Amino acid sequence: MSILLNNRTRLLIQGLGNEGQNQIRRSLDYGTKVVAGVHPGFRGGETFSHGNHTFPVFATVSEAIENTQANCTIIYVPAPGAADAILENIAAEVPLIVCITEGVPVHDMIRVRTALEGSKSKLIGPNCPGIIQPASNCRVGIHPPDVFMAGNVGVVSRSGTLVYEAVDQLTRAGIGQSTCVGVGGDPIIGEQQQAILRRFNSDPDTDAVVLIGEIGGLAEQAAAAYIKRSMNKPVVAFIAGATAPPGRRMGHAGAIIEGEAGTAEAKIKALEEAGAIISRSPAEIGSTMRRVLEEAGKYQPPGPPAE
Amino acid sequence: MNIHEYQAKQLFKSQGVPVPDGGAATDEREARDLIKEIGPDVVVKAQVHAGGRGKGRIVKRDRTTRIYNDLIDDPERHEGQITGRRRGGVRLASGTEEALKEFRPMMEQDARLVSIQTGSDGVPISAVLIEQQTSIAKEYYFSIQVDGANGQPLIVASAEGGQSIEEVNRTNPRAVLRVPVDPVEGFPAFRGRSLASQLGLPSSAIRPAGEMFANLYRVFSDMDASLVEVNPFVLTTEGAVVAIDGKVGLDDNASFRHGGYEAWRDRSQENPTEIEAEEANIGSYIKLDGDIGCVVNGAGLAMATMDTLKLHGGEPANFLDIGTVNRKDRVIEALRIIVNDPDVKTIFINIFGGLARVDIVAEGVVDAVGELNIQQPLVVRLNGSNVEEGRRVLHDSGIAVQTADELGDAAELAVQAAGSTKRRTRSNK
Repeated sequence: MSILLNNRTRLLIQGLGNEGQNQIRRSLDYGTKVVAGVHPGFRGGETFSHGNHTFPVFATVSEAIENTQANCTIIYVPAPGAADAILENIAAEVPLIVCITEGVPVHDMIRVRTALEGSKSKLIGPNCPGIIQPASNCRVGIHPPDVFMAGNVGVVSRSGTLVYEAVDQLTRAGIGQSTCVGVGGDPIIGEQQQAILRRFNSDPDTDAVVLIGEIGGLAEQAAAAYIKRSMNKPVVAFIAGATAPPGRRMGHAGAIIEGEAGTAEAKIKALEEAGAIISRSPAEIGSTMRRVLEEAGKYQPPGPPAE
Repeated sequence: MNIHEYQAKQLFKSQGVPVPDGGAATDEREARDLIKEIGPDVVVKAQVHAGGRGKGRIVKRDRTTRIYNDLIDDPERHEGQITGRRRGGVRLASGTEEALKEFRPMMEQDARLVSIQTGSDGVPISAVLIEQQTSIAKEYYFSIQVDGANGQPLIVASAEGGQSIEEVNRTNPRAVLRVPVDPVEGFPAFRGRSLASQLGLPSSAIRPAGEMFANLYRVFSDMDASLVEVNPFVLTTEGAVVAIDGKVGLDDNASFRHGGYEAWRDRSQENPTEIEAEEANIGSYIKLDGDIGCVVNGAGLAMATMDTLKLHGGEPANFLDIGTVNRKDRVIEALRIIVNDPDVKTIFINIFGGLARVDIVAEGVVDAVGELNIQQPLVVRLNGSNVEEGRRVLHDSGIAVQTADELGDAAELAVQAAGSTKRRTRSNK
């Protein structure tokens, strides 16, 4: 069932501060299977409840895994402790780690990337909206659930709010989503766009992909190289920041224009040459995908949810 | 966050990286003492955060725009062709009187440095670095940055230093060495010696250069730096290696480990409105040239909003990522910044709530209209978390506001509103 998540996903939430609590309530309402929490200072026996849902809260990740067989962790831990939380999950061999936290120091992420090397874990984020998979009611992130709809288009983006924007347009155009992945806006992240494209490429539930990039870095060029080499599904791409003045940091630490390669034009050119369909306007992502799907005979008008 | 060259050199020196003798002066007495100690032949360098100093000009505040326009017209016009008071920001001098003649205009009241990177307002000069001149045999380039794709530090070095490394990379890419750093090992001196040897340094300079590289790596890792750049470090005619320039960028996200980097920060080099935005806890604000003031959540959506406005023929007055809105006073603070910008003719609010709740945004907008007495046309596009409630709040408030559900439609409304209010010519800020 599409990529990264499925209906066997058993979620662990790490960091039950106010925001973590709010978000996990919304995931529970969405139907996500949350099996454990981790928060420092908690001892065995304590629980977190929302509506009819109750899950136990532990002091450490390894205790939580041992007791609940969680297989995915979402991290809401504040920036100073976020890298430590990721390392704790790598050490506990959690297969999928999603880190929402914004503002993690880049030197911490160098350590995290080193620890990921050769480990049993995959990381999405940090500084990302997480992953959502409508067909399995699995929300591992901070998404507004209402705009999402199950379907056959995958979404991968560096920006969080642009995931929502693109998905809103898709849903309005009658196009549902298989899985939506925000890979994060920082200079060093776990899986990059290219790795997510590879997953979508071999996913039977995904017929086409929306790729949203932005200025700075070389990740879109790497994605373009993958599309050219191996992608056998249509990719509709938008690159944010075509009109940004050069040399200024626009919020995301990753979005600094470094020479020509970092510009929107260079990225658009690389993607276009690789065969991606470019949406020049961020307001036309949905209509562009609709046209692409219709041409490929893959447009599935929304109906009652498929079994 | 950037720091000054003199501060970068303090960091270098504390880790054993050789730098020229010298220091920073802010008044004439300090300058005189320094020159007496290290003179007579000195380099006088204006301390600003902007690049392009050498080819920039020291001017009075009221003339920055004219000089900036000249520089933009002809960026290659060399400082040597300009006489009188319009000097560049890096000057050589021989003897106390000559050095002070260079020092004084830099530290004058209202003196600003204008370069092609400063914008038309230029930047104030915070201090003047006075250093001993170095007898240069050859110039080299060295930097450490973060390679996002590989998740490792990356050392870039070249035997063609003293010029833009981007330019060297374009014209002669084989002259640029790239050395990925294993973060567990760090960059020990033996790696440094190997790099020194690849750069073709003479055998007597291999050991000191190797140590210098290893020590620069210590600055990078101890300070949580995002960039350490030495362009150039030089081989002197006596065969020594010296870092004669230095640039260090610090990772704002790591400031909690370094007392907020307060000792290194110089607010005079930052845009006052951007500081105001930071103090109001607004995610990020950058002033731009247009007339449509933007309030958006998320950096990606904020850039995409600017892109959409431009595609519809509009010009954004700013980039503003409000961050996660969970209190309405944050919306009011963001709008205060927008309203206080005299260039803003129309306000465009585009919020797609995830973590942010758009009903709180709507309440903030309604309060701000009254509290800030907003006169400009207001276009609001809300979507995402609690959107129905948010739209109802706007509707029930009775404030004058145009709304649209979709990004393209909303951008179109904002551009139309800006067009109909555009009477005065745009300022060239």
